[in-house]
Amino acid sequence: MKKLICVALLLAVAPAGLMAADAAKKVIALAGGRLLTVSHGTIENGVLVMADGKIAAVGEAGKVTIPAGAEIVDARGLTIYPGLIDPETNFGLTEIESDQNSNDLAEPSDEIMPHMHVADAFHAETELIPVARLNGITNAVVAPASNDTIAGQDIFIQLAGADRDQMILGRDVALAMNFGADQRRRGGRGSKTEFPSTRMGLITQLRQTFLDVQDYEARRDAAAKKDDKAFKRDLKLEALIPYLNGERPVVVGVYEGYDIETIMGLAKEFHLKVVLNHVTHSQEILDKIASWKVAVIVGSIYDFPLANERFDAVYTLPAELAKRGVKIAISSADAGGPVSSHSSRNLPYAAGFAVAYGLPYDEALKAITLNVAEMFGYGDKLGSLDVGKTANVVVANGDPLDVRTDVKQVYIGGVAEPMVSRQTKLRDEYTK
Amino acid sequence: MNHAHEPRRRGLRAARLSGFLAATCAAFVATAHAQPALPAQPTPPDIVFRNATVMTASHGTIEHGAVWVHGGKIAGVGATVNAPAEAAVVDASGEWLTPGIIDPHSHSALDSDVNEATSPVTPSMHMIDAFDNRDKALYQALAGGVTTELLLHGSANMIGGQAVVIKNKFGLDREAMLFPNAPGSIKFASGENPKRVYGSRDQLPSTRMGNFEVMRQAFEDAKNYRATWDAYNAKAAKGDKEAVAPKRDLKLEALADVLRGKLYVQIHCYRADEFLTEEAMAHEYGYKIRAFHHALEMYKVADKIAPEQTAIATFTDWWGYKDEAWDAIPWNAVMSMRQGVRVALKSDSNDHIRRLNQEAGKMVHYGGASEDEAIRMVTLNPAWIIGVDDRTGSIDVGKDADLVLWNHDPLSTYARAQKVYIDGELFFDAGLPGFGATHFSGAMHDAGGFGSDDEEDGQ
Repeated sequence: MKKLICVALLLAVAPAGLMAADAAKKVIALAGGRLLTVSHGTIENGVLVMADGKIAAVGEAGKVTIPAGAEIVDARGLTIYPGLIDPETNFGLTEIESDQNSNDLAEPSDEIMPHMHVADAFHAETELIPVARLNGITNAVVAPASNDTIAGQDIFIQLAGADRDQMILGRDVALAMNFGADQRRRGGRGSKTEFPSTRMGLITQLRQTFLDVQDYEARRDAAAKKDDKAFKRDLKLEALIPYLNGERPVVVGVYEGYDIETIMGLAKEFHLKVVLNHVTHSQEILDKIASWKVAVIVGSIYDFPLANERFDAVYTLPAELAKRGVKIAISSADAGGPVSSHSSRNLPYAAGFAVAYGLPYDEALKAITLNVAEMFGYGDKLGSLDVGKTANVVVANGDPLDVRTDVKQVYIGGVAEPMVSRQTKLRDEYTK
Repeated sequence: MNHAHEPRRRGLRAARLSGFLAATCAAFVATAHAQPALPAQPTPPDIVFRNATVMTASHGTIEHGAVWVHGGKIAGVGATVNAPAEAAVVDASGEWLTPGIIDPHSHSALDSDVNEATSPVTPSMHMIDAFDNRDKALYQALAGGVTTELLLHGSANMIGGQAVVIKNKFGLDREAMLFPNAPGSIKFASGENPKRVYGSRDQLPSTRMGNFEVMRQAFEDAKNYRATWDAYNAKAAKGDKEAVAPKRDLKLEALADVLRGKLYVQIHCYRADEFLTEEAMAHEYGYKIRAFHHALEMYKVADKIAPEQTAIATFTDWWGYKDEAWDAIPWNAVMSMRQGVRVALKSDSNDHIRRLNQEAGKMVHYGGASEDEAIRMVTLNPAWIIGVDDRTGSIDVGKDADLVLWNHDPLSTYARAQKVYIDGELFFDAGLPGFGATHFSGAMHDAGGFGSDDEEDGQ
């Protein structure tokens, strides 16, 4: 580990821009560790080589050639795994939860806000990102908060980079939708009640919007054929076209079984490519969910069962879904979520807790790595220790899903990130 | 109100009154504000656990250890025990046995009555008056191995109300869930919550200056009240027939009891400067602070607080939810412990209360606590904060048999509570179908919410 520490110290004092460029050229070999590849099992005494920001070689010690001049890191006794990917965060959209000035979480002036682009608000320098990175989170989806039925479009980020442009790997990668009691916010008293104030209203509003988009798309295409310069763009409707064409995923946040059935009815009507999110109280319709062949983000696993349900009714959801062949991801939200980005560092523990309640270990690790990458279109670049993938790699002193484990080094794009956050600085300042 | 609760309600009032009367005598005892004793119970049968990894919390871990429970108490612990042949044997091979988990900061089972946020000084509120013993949060905590909870008033008020201590015997009636003879505690708060709650109404306090001045004025009033009563009692003791008893004032009476050291003072407090101000005020008025709760900046001044013997009940890694939580670091607990502060972890949440064992496990990660130190943070140390460490919180002969059997190391992510015993009686068994709550039948209540300080601040 001495070399690792040296690397971290060296990088901590180097100017950020220079550091990234130079460090990416360096070839690093992690030798002798336990490799959790996610895609092809565990290699007990393995070697992983990183070069040009990518994974250049993975295999058993002795079967992998370490290039001459590579920096060799002694990883004996350590566990090496792909960087973890949090499928739902508010990174860069909030800093201090109670401070409204630091929040750019959602635009609640209307329920239908597909033209809100998270990329426009993402604050790359947020203190939350280094805190999460220290526990091995290397990538994340950033989504707006859940106020609206259509809240906006997500970004997919890596948790390192000199600026916003380096950190955002993909803009508008998914549409954030929500359905249920929380979105009915116009049901005031007396004259203050406005449409839509019920679930019926929300669904009608959504259906009309989708029809408007189809109509708009047809008129837009016709205008283009005629080279009609007078055609006026409608950014709101235009934003939905790729989603109605099934080109990108729609992440639907929904908690109750009956709400899931309702919103899935609408989603099927318009052929949306759905990823379900939360599904906290879906125990009665798990087979149905499996039959839809949709991916599911389970979270928070810590959400409360209903009164008079067994204590583990929600803890067991990941296992129950996986058992039925559903591709699952697990999010880091605390109970009552939907999101608590300050707790993103606890992502691996949520996955571990799913293991405690019956999810096979390999599925749990997949649910915070490869499965998330695949759901958001990064399956060929991230999520496993495979040659050619981006070298987002974590080195820890044990099982990544155990609360006692300490992450020793995080590599993003083959660069050893400084293991420093605002919190470690405070720790060091006050350590006597 | 169910009439079945009436005897206890009367009992409580009687206890409070007798506490008050005792206070008028020279030789009051510190437990005068204690909760009532339990009526005699049938003795549960003997149990002996064998082949367990016994984490005692007081004297290390015993591999392949045994624990003998007799009469609801721990009668033996070690590599072997002298249990009688008729004791029920629990073969705990491959399992871990710990003391019951203790949460020193919970707002479960209080419906939405966490804060009487109508005045910044409400010391005569008693949380027992809101206690709903069928709240599902108690069951979910029990399934996480929690056997004792301190149910506190919220943090809207500088001086809040008086806590209730429960044993989590979910399914029993209300009075049977009270921790017998547990000492009384009172909740104070500081910082952002009181100033936000009252400031948003254009009332005092709206600043930290206002916060502390409200407290000082309250204690000045209490000093005066106490002196008036002391003078009357002195006259009465001399047989002065002319002496007229002053009018009783429940609010000042409770504050006078703080000054007399009859209530443990539990203070919601985040910032380093405020710990120092609170200690200075405690010195000025002559009371002791039992624990700072939250205490997220204790790592900055732990060397100054350790000599005061004030403990902390802290979160492991919650941070950034408001300004005074901005300097929170997950190393706070272990750093403060290394400076000599007694440290407990707490939930302040119906969520985290279900997995405090994992929160303890994080202390191995954040700062390198030993497993013994970590388990103590959710057992013996919170027991001390509540004032019941002579009765529970460790596996020692003579203590209440509050025990949890786990399928994995309880400090790992993978541990599930398999069986939970309180006073030697089984209250939860994960192996049973249905709820697994051995004494519960009927319907649970749902208080709603997340059971945190900040949630019900009366805004």
